[in-house]
Amino acid sequence: MIRLVALRLALMLPILFGVSIVAFTLMRALPGDFAQASAGTTAISAEALETIRRNLGLDRPVWQQYLGWLAHALTGDLGTSFVTRRPVAGELLPRLAVTGELTLIAGLMAMIMGTATGLASARLRGATDWMVRGLNSLLLAVPNFVIATLIVLLAGLYFPQLAIFNYVAFVADPAGNITGLLLPALSLALTVSVTISENTRAAVLEVASQDYVMVARAKGLRRRTILVHYLVRNALTPVVTVTGLQLAALLGGSILIETIFTVPGMGQYLFDSVANRDYPAIQAIVLLSATIVLLVNVLVDITYARIDARVSYE
Amino acid sequence: MNKAPRTRGQVLVALGLVMLALLIAIVLFGPVIAPYSPSKTSPGSLAGPTAAHWLGTDSIGRDVLSRLIIGGRTTLVITSAAVAIALTVGLILGLICGYVGGWVDLAVMRVLDIIFAFPVFLLAIAVVAALGPTLRNLIITIAIVYTPTLARVVRAPVLSVKRWDHVEAARSIGVGEVAIALRHVLPLVISPVLVQTSLTLANTIFTVTALSFLGLGPPPPDPNWGSMLAEARQFMELAPLTVIGPATAIVFASLTFIVLANGLREVLDVTASR
Amino acid sequence: MTAPPLLQVRDLTATFTRGSSATRVVQGISFDIAPGEAVGFVGESGCGKSVTARAIMRLAPEGTPLTVGGSIRYRGQELTDLPEPAMRDIRGRRIAMVFQDPMSSLNPVMTIGAQIDDMLRRHGGLSRQAARRRTIELLGLVGIRDPALRADDHPHQFSGGMRQRVLIAIAVSCQPDLLIADEPTTALDVTVQAQILRLLLRLRRELGMALMLITHDFGVIAGMVERVHVMREGNIVETGATDTIFTAPTHPYTSALLAAVPRLSERGTA
Repeated sequence: MIRLVALRLALMLPILFGVSIVAFTLMRALPGDFAQASAGTTAISAEALETIRRNLGLDRPVWQQYLGWLAHALTGDLGTSFVTRRPVAGELLPRLAVTGELTLIAGLMAMIMGTATGLASARLRGATDWMVRGLNSLLLAVPNFVIATLIVLLAGLYFPQLAIFNYVAFVADPAGNITGLLLPALSLALTVSVTISENTRAAVLEVASQDYVMVARAKGLRRRTILVHYLVRNALTPVVTVTGLQLAALLGGSILIETIFTVPGMGQYLFDSVANRDYPAIQAIVLLSATIVLLVNVLVDITYARIDARVSYE
Repeated sequence: MNKAPRTRGQVLVALGLVMLALLIAIVLFGPVIAPYSPSKTSPGSLAGPTAAHWLGTDSIGRDVLSRLIIGGRTTLVITSAAVAIALTVGLILGLICGYVGGWVDLAVMRVLDIIFAFPVFLLAIAVVAALGPTLRNLIITIAIVYTPTLARVVRAPVLSVKRWDHVEAARSIGVGEVAIALRHVLPLVISPVLVQTSLTLANTIFTVTALSFLGLGPPPPDPNWGSMLAEARQFMELAPLTVIGPATAIVFASLTFIVLANGLREVLDVTASR
Repeated sequence: MTAPPLLQVRDLTATFTRGSSATRVVQGISFDIAPGEAVGFVGESGCGKSVTARAIMRLAPEGTPLTVGGSIRYRGQELTDLPEPAMRDIRGRRIAMVFQDPMSSLNPVMTIGAQIDDMLRRHGGLSRQAARRRTIELLGLVGIRDPALRADDHPHQFSGGMRQRVLIAIAVSCQPDLLIADEPTTALDVTVQAQILRLLLRLRRELGMALMLITHDFGVIAGMVERVHVMREGNIVETGATDTIFTAPTHPYTSALLAAVPRLSERGTA
């Protein structure tokens, strides 16, 4: 198991390296000048601009700039915000926590809805199957920001007493914090649940036709035992993979959803940073989210191996 | 197997094609069909449906239906242009990788892995933010974001197909490699690519409208579905129809490609992801 | 026959319904199996022998409804109209089954031991520790070396022959009265086939259970069973003592099947 973790992490490193290059060049390849942008919109003298340039190390060769930036990033220094003049890392972390919480709640919701509908669809067949699949196809066509907008619209029209834009910090009011995130999480979860549902359905159908399920029935095991230990445990393997891979979609989606529900997470921070042309912040967000996605992929691999012992021996 | 799924697939494809025809009509004849100019204002703002304005007017009195038609044109042109580029590049990369194999395959796939590591939407925002939200940049960005998926879908069947017996047979009687690639490998790649292209079109509609929704879409005054939805949000309790219009349009367009993809998958018997 | 039959099958029919079409694959067959008796069912694939076994166990493949007619009595108790929960008490406990393909018959995500434990705990009401002890004992009984260690392995760490031994251990774990073995050696190498057959023979003797051995291969039943039913297109075309059938088959189909048994020298390449 330790070898597996080490191997997966080692495989991740070159990609992470590439990701850092992309994140770096993306912001250095700006049409405008990085130094000019750092000064904000105010007019600035040529000398002052030169000083900024030197302070930011922009007079050095590009590869030196990259290595310097990378070295800082590795020690947790993600640069200084052009807007607040404070370290980006300090600004980003609390917002990342909020996005993390939102993503977690949404992921859980999607997993519960997805596996439940997928399982029902595969086991009950008939009208249930037909309904679930129809609903899935339709849901798949509704982008999460449209769902969010419609939820806000419906809430505004029919439940005006419902305060939807009232994000409160977890430390201030844990219950309020979670209930405040329920609707944003729902908007995120619906689309993702479709993928999980369809995959659960396919996996359960596939597993149900396996010989070992027949053997389990021949053993006279109870339906519950067969469902849990034979069907679900085997169907889980592909479902876990799919769910993990949906994290990228959840993270990307949270950017939109946060701006709609005014949740002060990473998405809103990115949006503000884009509006303010706060490039170090954008760079940090891009780098961090790609790293998170890669790490989760490794985590998925490991979970996969935990569930299915065959994997670690391949 | 049995006949039922095939006919259901055919129904879905037919339905998808009819919906697609409607979308194409909007793109081709938009300015002709639209009852008003999308920027022409009339006295009543945020008005409900009337005989003059079937879907009412927006906050500054512009005709919602006309804006939907013209906005659809913008949205769909960006979408199809981006997917066309992604498809071309993905097809070339996938064929080269699958066919040549070796270190070329390894190198290209690793680069695509890097793009894959970014959440699609986040990468799109960052690129558009860096390059500036012009029509051209939007198209390039979205093309970059979706190229890896298409390249992978092309590569996988090529890898397995090129080892098949009839390909070996063709090679043994001296058929050139390029001829083999075009005549034997390409046709077998087409089915999964068609399905994936259709799905990518649906995804691209999401991305384009979402970027526009955030104000990173094509610059005003040209309307598009994403920005219309964003504008309408401010007044949606007064005029729900201004929200419902673009929302329905977005769902309709993506549904078109999802229906088409599902139908094609059944008709062409693409087993992947089923 | 003096002893009352363990299993009494009368006019058994089995019909598969797929969509609107129905296919009758067992056409009304009757036979008895006495306690401790070993009976062979021989026929080509598709002759209805496996479906007969499925009908007795009432185990239709997922999604293909199997309609059973006639009567199946186990110790005088009618099984065809037995409620499902009661039937679950029969399956595994009274009548157990070994299937054809050991490679796909074990749950890949559970350890070998756990797959015997769940059976023991279901039918025997054993405690966790008692089930564990019995599992190790059973693995030893079917010839798995280091049973205490191997019980914690997963199926993919076992060869085909070993897996079939495990599946036999599962089947005999609750000391059933009747073991149905449906082509138990077909998927195995020739050398392993002989070992598995010897194991079945030994277990039958030691546990005193009846054996219903289903195969397409006359070579397999020689020395294994006392009586043979030859099946063709859903009917039993010939029944007799094994020796008689081998030396003097009465039905031309039986002769044809016997002629098709490959000599041992040819078998290696088959």
